[in-house]
Amino acid sequence: MSFLVNNKVLLLVYSGMKEQSLSDSVNIMLTPQFYILKKEKLPIKYLYQAKRIAPSLFDGLLEDVQKYDYLVYKEKEEWIFIAYDLEAISNFLLSKGIKPEQVSKIFFAQQASSSFTAPVLLGEKDALVSLDNTVVMIPQIALKENNDIVTFNDSFTPKGGVTPEGIHGSILSKRQTIGLAAFFMLFAMMFFVEGWRYTHDSQATQEEMQMLLEEYPSLKSQYTRESIAAKYKTIDQNERRKREVVKTLAGMIFKGVKVGSFNLNEKAFTVDFICSDAKVAKRLVQLAKKSEFNSAKVVTDNTVHIEEKL
Amino acid sequence: MNWKLYKNELIVVVSLILMLFALLYKNNQISLHSQDMLNTKYTVKEFRELVALQKIWADKKVSKKVNKLEKIVPGSKVKWSKKGKKLTAIYKNLSPKELNKLITNILSMAVQIQELKIKRNNSSYDVEFKCKW
Repeated sequence: MSFLVNNKVLLLVYSGMKEQSLSDSVNIMLTPQFYILKKEKLPIKYLYQAKRIAPSLFDGLLEDVQKYDYLVYKEKEEWIFIAYDLEAISNFLLSKGIKPEQVSKIFFAQQASSSFTAPVLLGEKDALVSLDNTVVMIPQIALKENNDIVTFNDSFTPKGGVTPEGIHGSILSKRQTIGLAAFFMLFAMMFFVEGWRYTHDSQATQEEMQMLLEEYPSLKSQYTRESIAAKYKTIDQNERRKREVVKTLAGMIFKGVKVGSFNLNEKAFTVDFICSDAKVAKRLVQLAKKSEFNSAKVVTDNTVHIEEKL
Repeated sequence: MNWKLYKNELIVVVSLILMLFALLYKNNQISLHSQDMLNTKYTVKEFRELVALQKIWADKKVSKKVNKLEKIVPGSKVKWSKKGKKLTAIYKNLSPKELNKLITNILSMAVQIQELKIKRNNSSYDVEFKCKW
């Protein structure tokens, strides 16, 4: 499974390195010149908690805390915090002929502290050594004469590194990416659901229609439906009107009013109300006009006569 | 070209394309189904309305229900004539209470009122009622 293995060349980056001419992308390992290290024993259980407090640990140590990114991991009982300035690293790499897009992963020498079993020489003056599990730079003259020297190679590649997002002029930050992607995905979901609902609704209506057709086969034909509708809608309308008239007239009967006669047929109705006096008759006429029986009038002997078409 | 370096942009572009596809899918579904669905919904509504109207005005039990109008007042006050799907009923000397009961029952029945005559006679009422169904 060679595609799962990070088999890129590991390049050690230090301030006095020679200019490079790379044809393929590489992994780089930064010396302590490019990062600030802190080791702390903290009562913290989870990585995200450690990451959250990382900037506050470097307060006073760094000029602009916001400018830095942090790599945090746990080593035995201690939390290791590494602060690094990605922009400064990127500028340095460019000055040495390494284009940011040629960098596949960034590692820090501290991550490979166990691999520094002996000093690693950096150019002619300096060396990298591991002292108490901390990788530091020392002048080569500080090394003992018979000191073993190890050659830096790909076997120094640690497990977790930093993918160099942003140092190649990426327009979007991680936060912006998450925000935008979430926004687009949310709308995508909404559109999919709406589209699905349309299909589903349409199917449900078709099924309902099919059910009704099976239940009432006589109504399958449009012509039959139209003729039935014409017949029953007219009956319904006329009969409702007749019942409404009777109810309205019944509602107009109050103290001092009696029905003298009432006649209702298919086309019209007439009614005579006998009122106890002229005042009651007048009030009844007003009430009738309010109910849109405009033909209401007082005839002889305080009788109110209404005659209307249906 | 190292695509890893443009991961952020790639994620955003992919999600944007997904959103556009979803939008196209939605619009496609709407244009495919909306007109059909409107027509079908209208027909279903029309259907239901027709069925409801038929249930009311072509109820086969009306013929039996109408008989109630004969027994609503004492037999001596009614002259009853029911032929097929037509009824002529003449009521004499109804008290106001009986008249109210009769009219309420007539109005609640799904029959076509052809004629309804009420005449006051001193303190009682005479009613003539013709209907069909």
